[in-house]
Amino acid sequence: MSIYRISYRYANSFFQLAEEKKLLKKYGEDIELIFNTLSQSKELRSVLRNPVIKQKDKKNLLSKIFGSKIRKETSEFLDFIVGKSREDIMMEIMKEFLNLRDDKEGIVRTGITSSVDLTDSVKKDLVSKLEKRTGKKVKPEYYVDKNLIGGFIVNINDTMLDASVKHQLDLLRKKFSEEISI
Amino acid sequence: MAEIRPDEVSAILRKQLAGFDNEVDIYEVGTVLQVGDGIARVYGLSNVMASELVEFPNNVTGMVLNLEEDNVGCVLFGESSLIKEGDTVKRTNRVASFPVGDKLLGRVVNPLGEPVDGKGTIQFDKYMPIERKALGVIARQPVKEPVQTGITAIDAMIPIGRGQRELIIGDRQTGKTAIAIDAIINQKYTHTEEAKKFGIKPVYCVYVAIGQKNSTIAQVVAKLEEQGAMAYTTIVAAPASSPAPLQYIAPYSGATLGEHFRDSGRHSLVIYDDLSKQAAAYRELSLLLRRPPGREAYPGDVFYLHSRLLERASKLSEDLGGGSLTALPIIETQQGDVSAYIPTNVISITDGQIYLEPNLFNAGVRPAINVGISVSRVGGNAQIKAMKKVAGSLKIDLAQYRELEAFAKFGSDLDKATQKILAKGARLVELLKQGQYTPIPVEKQVVSVYIGTNNFLDSVDVKDVKRFEKEFHEFADLKYPAIYENIRSAKELKDDTVQLLKKAVEEFIEKFNKG
Repeated sequence: MSIYRISYRYANSFFQLAEEKKLLKKYGEDIELIFNTLSQSKELRSVLRNPVIKQKDKKNLLSKIFGSKIRKETSEFLDFIVGKSREDIMMEIMKEFLNLRDDKEGIVRTGITSSVDLTDSVKKDLVSKLEKRTGKKVKPEYYVDKNLIGGFIVNINDTMLDASVKHQLDLLRKKFSEEISI
Repeated sequence: MAEIRPDEVSAILRKQLAGFDNEVDIYEVGTVLQVGDGIARVYGLSNVMASELVEFPNNVTGMVLNLEEDNVGCVLFGESSLIKEGDTVKRTNRVASFPVGDKLLGRVVNPLGEPVDGKGTIQFDKYMPIERKALGVIARQPVKEPVQTGITAIDAMIPIGRGQRELIIGDRQTGKTAIAIDAIINQKYTHTEEAKKFGIKPVYCVYVAIGQKNSTIAQVVAKLEEQGAMAYTTIVAAPASSPAPLQYIAPYSGATLGEHFRDSGRHSLVIYDDLSKQAAAYRELSLLLRRPPGREAYPGDVFYLHSRLLERASKLSEDLGGGSLTALPIIETQQGDVSAYIPTNVISITDGQIYLEPNLFNAGVRPAINVGISVSRVGGNAQIKAMKKVAGSLKIDLAQYRELEAFAKFGSDLDKATQKILAKGARLVELLKQGQYTPIPVEKQVVSVYIGTNNFLDSVDVKDVKRFEKEFHEFADLKYPAIYENIRSAKELKDDTVQLLKKAVEEFIEKFNKG
């Protein structure tokens, strides 16, 4: 079975619980914290993935790291995942939960890649334009990529809005390499 | 080509730049999760369509075949070693399609329509999707015009009509391709002024080579060029070296081109050489896509694979221009086993089959057609009247001959009547032998069959039958050309023509037996 289907089931069950208790916002913050920690710490991820380390130790470790910062229910959810030996896909489950929450709240995560650091006014302008276009709340993440030469790329889910100089040059190169008959 | 002037160069550049806008480009992407064996699994591409073309890096294109819950299965039309995990995949918003147009005639292209003959780019009219739904009942009419293959045995006994699907089936090395090539060569006549005068419309040919050696394809091209047949023929080549997905789509590409001619009120003949290799290619990629295997490890939809292709053969109603697409699929059997999965499937789909046998081939009967079990279910309506008249008794005579042939092998004394049937049968079999690349026009076929079935060959030795036929045609061409002309123009065998023919044969037999 694919990871997607498994992680969706765990995330969805916790998501429904959160909705029932009307604590989606609070739980969302907890999960976000866990997700961010996991994505930043390679060590933590490899510990969770390691089959040699006992599940009891993993549970202890998780409660020591997050115990004081998250709610009891969230902590129990983590224990539950470990108890079901699915701690190796912990990060995917968290991501899936955040996706479900974003869907519910009408938030779209967008990656904005530009060649140089954008000024705040430009950022604000861009976000408001994107919100108008998508009709949803845009949650931007900014990246800088010198390879773009100029311009920017916005990716909203699978769709790319490409206004980079690099892409223009690529298109131009392609156009010229096409044979055209005289 | 004259020298390129500087202004021409800049004109071209301007032309190329004209279509270039520097607006924001919006496209949809996915990420390669897994790649190998000509298959890529892609994450993302959430809006992609089934059988849509997608672009991978390094100019590799792919086609979407599987749409799953969390990933998209694509087949690659290029080297899978050029693609890495994590590469970006772009949608093209275009389902797999094939360029069509008259400029494709005389060219060799791959199943994506890219030329592979080194003669430069092709100016095509438009792209048509390679998978098109076959026409319904209203759009069709019964098959009524013949496709003359130029092979007497076929045109007389297993006639093929325009819009028919006739299977050519046989073991390897029994001359399956030879029949198809002869049929293409014989269409040359339909492109002449003379044919136009008699109301015979030109037939455009498409030869789809699937899983064949490149050398074989080159040979076919050379032969067709030599015979002047490339002018009205396109070759769609998916050689054995090409990836399985290309071999899989090749017949659909060929059918799309055939439909282009059909839909513009013209006639086309499409040869799929051969569909057993296509089925094997489809099996390969189905298994790689983890579709469950069925009988002989073919996937469950292998019947649909061929039925949807061959259903596209059709004769359009007069309202839609009366064009036609004739399909000649070829199937290679193993040790004459026609009850294997793919042969039975295709036999049941087509309107008849031409069965070739290695025994006959080795006995020198070439084309090695077993006329006993070969049939054409609709072509009879399409035969010209003259042929219909003379071919009726030919079938009966040969059937009687086969029945008695087995007895004759015991060498026992046979009565007069039996001996007569055997003698006639042997002469008819001899008469139906024919060399490769030597199609015979229909009026000559009619005359030959007439001579054979009306006992004129009784006084001729079996070994002299072919010589007799050849020399008679030469003789009649010179002295009684009216015979051929009458058959050609009237398309039937009138009494006065029969009288003339009788006179000519009697006159010639006398001469022949003397010399």
